[in-house]
Amino acid sequence: MRDSCPVRAHDIWFAYRGEDWVLKGVSLEVPRGTFMAIMGPSGAGKSTLLRLLAGLLRPQRGSVQVLGHVAHNGRSPRSRARVGYIPQQLGLVRNVSALENVLMGALGRVRGLAPYLGLFPREEVARAMSLLEDLGIGHKARDKAFQLSGGERQRVAIARALMQQPEIVLADEFVSDLDLPRASEVLSTMRELGRAQGVTFVVNMHELPLVHDYADLVTVLRDGEVTFRGPARAVTWAELQEAPA
Amino acid sequence: MRWELIGKRDLLLWLAAAVLLSLALQRLGFFDAERLGRGAANVLTFARDAVPPDMGVLPLAGRALWETVQMAFAGTLLGFLLALPLGFMGTRVLSPLPLVLLSRLIVAATRTVPALLWAVLFVIVVGLGPLAGTLGLALYTVGYLGKLYSELFEGTDPEVVEALRGVGASRLHLARFVIWPESANAAISQLLFMLEYNVRASSILGFAGAGGIGFYVNIYLQTLEYTRLATLMLLILALTLAMDALSAWVRSRYLLAGR
Repeated sequence: MRDSCPVRAHDIWFAYRGEDWVLKGVSLEVPRGTFMAIMGPSGAGKSTLLRLLAGLLRPQRGSVQVLGHVAHNGRSPRSRARVGYIPQQLGLVRNVSALENVLMGALGRVRGLAPYLGLFPREEVARAMSLLEDLGIGHKARDKAFQLSGGERQRVAIARALMQQPEIVLADEFVSDLDLPRASEVLSTMRELGRAQGVTFVVNMHELPLVHDYADLVTVLRDGEVTFRGPARAVTWAELQEAPA
Repeated sequence: MRWELIGKRDLLLWLAAAVLLSLALQRLGFFDAERLGRGAANVLTFARDAVPPDMGVLPLAGRALWETVQMAFAGTLLGFLLALPLGFMGTRVLSPLPLVLLSRLIVAATRTVPALLWAVLFVIVVGLGPLAGTLGLALYTVGYLGKLYSELFEGTDPEVVEALRGVGASRLHLARFVIWPESANAAISQLLFMLEYNVRASSILGFAGAGGIGFYVNIYLQTLEYTRLATLMLLILALTLAMDALSAWVRSRYLLAGR
């Protein structure tokens, strides 16, 4: 039976060095198919939380369960592929085309030596092209990533994450470099495409208007602790600025 | 006017370097004016004896030069083909620590031996001729490119590696789809530099009987045939300039454009 909350974190503590805790007892549950925004000031621990959820870091205390597996504990490539992760700087390979970047999202399921020679199944190429077209950059498919604008690169990163056919997408402040109208456009497209696939989103964000428009739930972090959790509409600037309870 | 010394440590370092250099030069005979004067006179004698260059050796020298180019080209590419996997093996995000250490040990051991000595060793193993020279250049190339490549690959943006790991990519996928494309321009630039270097190095491997134009350079030096030697030196100069121009063109046409 599918878990109703594919992302669960329970009382996680994390420090990069010694007892210098970046996260202090954070707990989180993200219901399937929802869009959860993680908010909070710089240095609150948002990126660290996302990297823990992505299984890239291991908590010193507490547990992180993603799709029923312990996040950091040697998940198989196939199970990793069910979680799309978009880092803050997007993590695109600069010297290859947008299409190839998106096709990398299929690496978890395309086996054999063919991909090493640049050969991908025709249906995967068609799927990648279709995602780029849905995101409005089909005409840039053959351009190398370094030739694309910031907004176009963000779309490629979204397409790569969705190419994984993920159940969850974790994204770290990936629209923070865009102006509001453009960020709104990118989020809207991502959400629309994700909804069609039933994807659960956990996204670090700064901009309250965007959170109101696109998120279902919000968790606010401050100094490594959760200071607010609830429906997106309920969060105000006050929650973002208040000291921890 | 009053002066204040800024960067006292830098000045002390420069002074220490100057003192060490002076001591070394003195010990090596650089301050022996009589000897240097005699050397300058010998240069003039050599220059007089070498002019005009004897163009009669051109057909022979041309063939030897072509052999030199082939040795450099084959040696560089063979070395590259060995250095690339060693470079990947020596990169921590791709390999477990024991393999990283093994790769670095192999590369360091290979780099310790100069190309000329490798050529001598291969003359013993496979006999006189260009095969020994080519193998010598290949191993020398492995030593340098192996080190440069593992350092280059280590410098790949960790966020890109993380992002692809999240996709479910294996270590081989990371090497093929992230590390190589991100490093290819610099890696090819270093390969071209190595080719230029090997063209110059292969010109002297013939001293050890390892083929190429160096074999004739050695003969003409020993028989004091300086006019013939001058022709060979001019050919080597032309080849080196041509290689520099070719690699500069490849860099500007294909590599810088891709940044």
